[in-house]
Amino acid sequence: MTPVGAPPPRLPTRERTRIPGGGLSPMLSRLAEERATGVLMREGGMLHLSEGQVVYAESPATPGLDALLMARGTLDEDGWREAFVQAGERRRVGRFLIDSGRIGEGALELCHLGALFDAAYFVLGPSSAPVRFHYGEAHWLGPVHPVPVAALERETLRRRELLHAIWPDPTTDDAPLVRTARSSGRTVTPRQGAVLDRIDGVRTAADISRSLGRPAFHTLVDVRRLAAAGVIAAGTYGVAAGTYGGQRQPSAGVADHDPAVPAPGEALPPPYADDPHITLLKRLRDALEAL
Amino acid sequence: MPGIDECLLEAMRLPGARGAAVVDWTSGLALGTVGDSPGGDHERTAAEAAELARLAAEHRAFAPEGDADWSENACPVEDLIIANRDSYHLLRFVPTTFDSSVFLHLWLAREEGNLALARIRLGEMAGRLVLG
Repeated sequence: MTPVGAPPPRLPTRERTRIPGGGLSPMLSRLAEERATGVLMREGGMLHLSEGQVVYAESPATPGLDALLMARGTLDEDGWREAFVQAGERRRVGRFLIDSGRIGEGALELCHLGALFDAAYFVLGPSSAPVRFHYGEAHWLGPVHPVPVAALERETLRRRELLHAIWPDPTTDDAPLVRTARSSGRTVTPRQGAVLDRIDGVRTAADISRSLGRPAFHTLVDVRRLAAAGVIAAGTYGVAAGTYGGQRQPSAGVADHDPAVPAPGEALPPPYADDPHITLLKRLRDALEAL
Repeated sequence: MPGIDECLLEAMRLPGARGAAVVDWTSGLALGTVGDSPGGDHERTAAEAAELARLAAEHRAFAPEGDADWSENACPVEDLIIANRDSYHLLRFVPTTFDSSVFLHLWLAREEGNLALARIRLGEMAGRLVLG
């Protein structure tokens, strides 16, 4: 007879993107129903509502509309400031920008909608922190292209699934990023190349988005593709620039210690991020888990 | 200088136009839609068209010979044409002065549609959409 032992230990799995079945924020749906005006504050940022529709979204994880428009000179800082002074109080900054000929209506709508859905993705991200809503006046931009709450929630869920389908491991979303040994000589697309050029072991996807003046979700898409290709990996938090590659303080008694072992008090380097065998195994595991 | 909705309505005035959309090819988001869509689902059509547009926009195989401009937001491809038994799909990239990845998608009935005319008009609309 086969002896009945203890059940085998549970195999380790990693945390994966969770896709809830219902709405993303019950409070948001309720506010939409009552056609509320004001600002919803969540851990990831803010959604501005006007009569139950979303008119603006902002998150520290991604550049705002002003940053996107100024990054490549579509608007200059003076133009933006003047619009704010002239029309901020009337909450018609968007209309003022169009009417004064600083930007075309289509261009403003495209950039605004892109920024709104982008920020909303981060605002509506998973969080257990309390949510608050302040009833009040509409946002200073004014109505440019209001978005129904249901459409915003649907798109946010679709975006989570999109990232998950590209590469199921979310750790590269907010960790400092490092290039792997596979990154040299790889052909990447121009937009991925711009992201890859800014990876230095310190910057996160959000930092790179700010530096590019690009919506952060767009950067996440490229980051996940690059991670799936094994070209980049998540580094470790709290590592200062230059500490990778063994630029470390010599500790007393250990003149030349193993560069794989960090000196005391120093943050650990990313485990095996550069080992092609380990990355291959991880990729295999992720692919199997995604089945 | 029209907004997204005016631009889409203008596209619908083309002979044979069945539906039109403005789509972001990185995320697959439909920023605006009008008329019909294959299968009746604009969001799904946008996501699928975005996949195709992304491949065309990002791979060097479809860029012009020599000095293709990959800088900023200049997409080396102007448009994509797909023909099937009963319709055409025309995807026109929209150049913007800020970082974006946007295209216009026109669905055209093959019998009534005039592909050459639609191609010219859609190019003009893409330019006007972001003027200013």
